[in-house]
Amino acid sequence: RLTQVRWSRYGPDYLEPEVNKEVYRKPGQELSEEEKMEQDLKALQPIKAAPCNVTSSLFSDPTISKFINMMMKGGNKVLARSIMSQTLEAVKRKQVEKYHQASEEERESIECNPYVIFHQALKNCQPIIGISNIKKGGKTYQVPTPLTDNRKRFLAMKWLITECREHKHYRIFMHEKLSQELLQAFNNEGPVIKRKHDIHKMAEANRAYAHYRWW
Amino acid sequence: MLRRVKGLICQGPKLDPGCFLQARAWLSAAANQGAQIPEERLRTIFRTHESNPANHSEQHEGQHYSIPLQEVKVVFPHGLPRRFQAQMKTFNEACLMVRRPALELLGYLKSTNFAHPAVRYIIYGEKGTGKTMTLCHAVHYCAKQDWLVLHIPDAHLWVKNRTELLPSSYHNERFDQPLEASTWLKNFKVSNERFLKEIKTQRTYVWSKRESTEMGSPLGEVVEQGVTRVKNASDAVGVVLKELKTQCPLGSFRLLVAVDGVNALWGRSTLRKKDKSAISPEELTLVHNLRKMVMNDWNGGAIVTTLSQTGSLFKPRSAYLPHELLGKEGFDTLDPFVPIQVPNYSQREFESCYQYYLDRKWLQHEKVGTEEGREELLFLSNSNPWQLERISASL
Repeated sequence: RLTQVRWSRYGPDYLEPEVNKEVYRKPGQELSEEEKMEQDLKALQPIKAAPCNVTSSLFSDPTISKFINMMMKGGNKVLARSIMSQTLEAVKRKQVEKYHQASEEERESIECNPYVIFHQALKNCQPIIGISNIKKGGKTYQVPTPLTDNRKRFLAMKWLITECREHKHYRIFMHEKLSQELLQAFNNEGPVIKRKHDIHKMAEANRAYAHYRWW
Repeated sequence: MLRRVKGLICQGPKLDPGCFLQARAWLSAAANQGAQIPEERLRTIFRTHESNPANHSEQHEGQHYSIPLQEVKVVFPHGLPRRFQAQMKTFNEACLMVRRPALELLGYLKSTNFAHPAVRYIIYGEKGTGKTMTLCHAVHYCAKQDWLVLHIPDAHLWVKNRTELLPSSYHNERFDQPLEASTWLKNFKVSNERFLKEIKTQRTYVWSKRESTEMGSPLGEVVEQGVTRVKNASDAVGVVLKELKTQCPLGSFRLLVAVDGVNALWGRSTLRKKDKSAISPEELTLVHNLRKMVMNDWNGGAIVTTLSQTGSLFKPRSAYLPHELLGKEGFDTLDPFVPIQVPNYSQREFESCYQYYLDRKWLQHEKVGTEEGREELLFLSNSNPWQLERISASL
C-alpha cells in the first residue's frame, strides 16, 4: 500500500503569506477593486506560516536563495550560505580593488556590484535551446528541444556548481573558485560558457532530427 | 585604585527613533549652511585631513583619518587585524576612525610623567568593538612622537598552536619557541631601525662556544643573532626586553609596551610536553620575559594592553571584563591599572562608518543606500563594528 511521503499539512483554503513590506504600506485609497477584495479575504482566511528562508529583509533575493539551496549538501544551509556570502565578498573585493587602481575613464566601465555580476553571469550561462535523448528505431538521437525559464536557470546554476566542484583543485576554497567562475562568466569567457556553446553547436548540428520531437 | 564602576555595568542597546533624527541632523546641519555644497565638503564630514594623531581632539570624533601606506609598512609590520589588512589592500588606503576611548588614551599618554613608574592601561570591551584598532591608534601616535614601540601583535599566538618547542638552553625547566620569536624579531627590526643602532648593550652575552655579543655593541646585533640563529631567538628576545627595561629609566628614549591579548600571559596554554603533561605559560621563555616587562617597576614610558576573548583559551564567549579574562593571578599582577572601555559605535560613528563604506564603493546593493537599508544595517549589526564589517562585506 502506498502512502505519500511528502504532503502539505495545510488544507486547500490556506493562503500564501505576503512578506513584502511595500504591500502593507500602501494607503487604502490607492488599492484597486481586486486588491481590496484580496485584503478582505486575507483578514478572514487562514494563512500558512512563512518558511525560514523567506525574510522581509531588503537584501533577500530569490535567485540567490535558489543557488544556495543547490549548493547545499546534507542539509547544511549554514555552510552553503556562508560560502555564498564569502563568494559575493570575494567578487566585490576583486572588482573594488580594480576600481580604485584604475584611471578615471576606466572607472565607469568597471562593475562593482556583486549581485549585478551574479545575475548577469547567470544570464550569460543560460542555454537558449536544450538537447534531449529520444529513442527511435533502437537508436538514441540527441534532439534539440526548447527549454522553460526555470530549466534554463537550473542548468546554468548546475553547470557553475559542478564546474567548481569537479574540475578545480580540491584544496582551493569553494568561494575562491566560484568567484573566479562568476567573473569569467560575466565577461563571457570560461569553461561554463564553453559548455553552453557546445550544447548550442550540438543542437545546430542535429537540426535534422528536430521533427523527432512530438511535444 | 583607579577603577570606574559605571563602566563595568552592561549598557543595553538604545534604539529610540529620535536618535536617527539626531544623526541626520548632524549631516543636514552642515549641508544646510550653504545652498550648494560641493561633493568635497560632504565627504570631509566623515573624513579628516589631520593625519597626525597628536592633533586629534574631540572635534575629530567619529571621523576617519588616513595613514600613508609607506608609513603603515614601517609602523605596523605586524599588529593590524587581518580583515583590516584586506580592507587596506582593497581600498588602496588605510583609514582609522578617531573614537572617544582612543582620544582618552592619547590624552593620558600626552600627560605622562616620565619620572613616575610606567602606568598600565587596559583596553577592554565586548567582542568586536575596536580594542585592537584603539591600540593601533596609540601605537601610531607614539611612533610619530618618536618613542620606541614594543608591539606584540597577539600574545595568544605564543601559547597555542603546537609547532616546535625546544627546551631552553638558559634555564633548565623552561621551553623556547624559536619560530614565533624569530618572526617577532624580524618585525621588531622593521619598525625600530633607528633605535637599534643607537642603544648599546650593557653586558656581554655568550650565545655558544664561538658566538658572543660584546658589551657596548648596538642592540641591532642581538636582533641579528636571534634572526639568523633561530635556536637562540627566544633568548635574544629576553635579552632585548631586559636591555630596554634597564636603559629606559636613563631617559635617552621613551618606551611604549603594546601587548594585544594580555590575558594570554596568565591563562592556560594548549601546549604539552613530550609526556603529554600540560605546560603552564610560566614555563615558556617568551611569556616569562614578557611578564617581567609588563610590571610597573620601571619608568620613562607606558604600557598599553588589550584584553581579548577571541584568541583566548578556555574562556567563555561572554567574558569581557578584566577580572573574568585575567583571572586572579593576572589581575593581582596588573593591579593598579587604568581601565578604558571601548563601547559599540555611537549614532555619529555608525553614520560616519556607513558614509565611508558608501564613499569607497564597498556597500553595493541597490537598496543599501536608502533610509530603510541603513536602518536594517543598524538593526542587524547592533552598531557593533565587527558585525557591521562582516554584514557589509557581502552586501
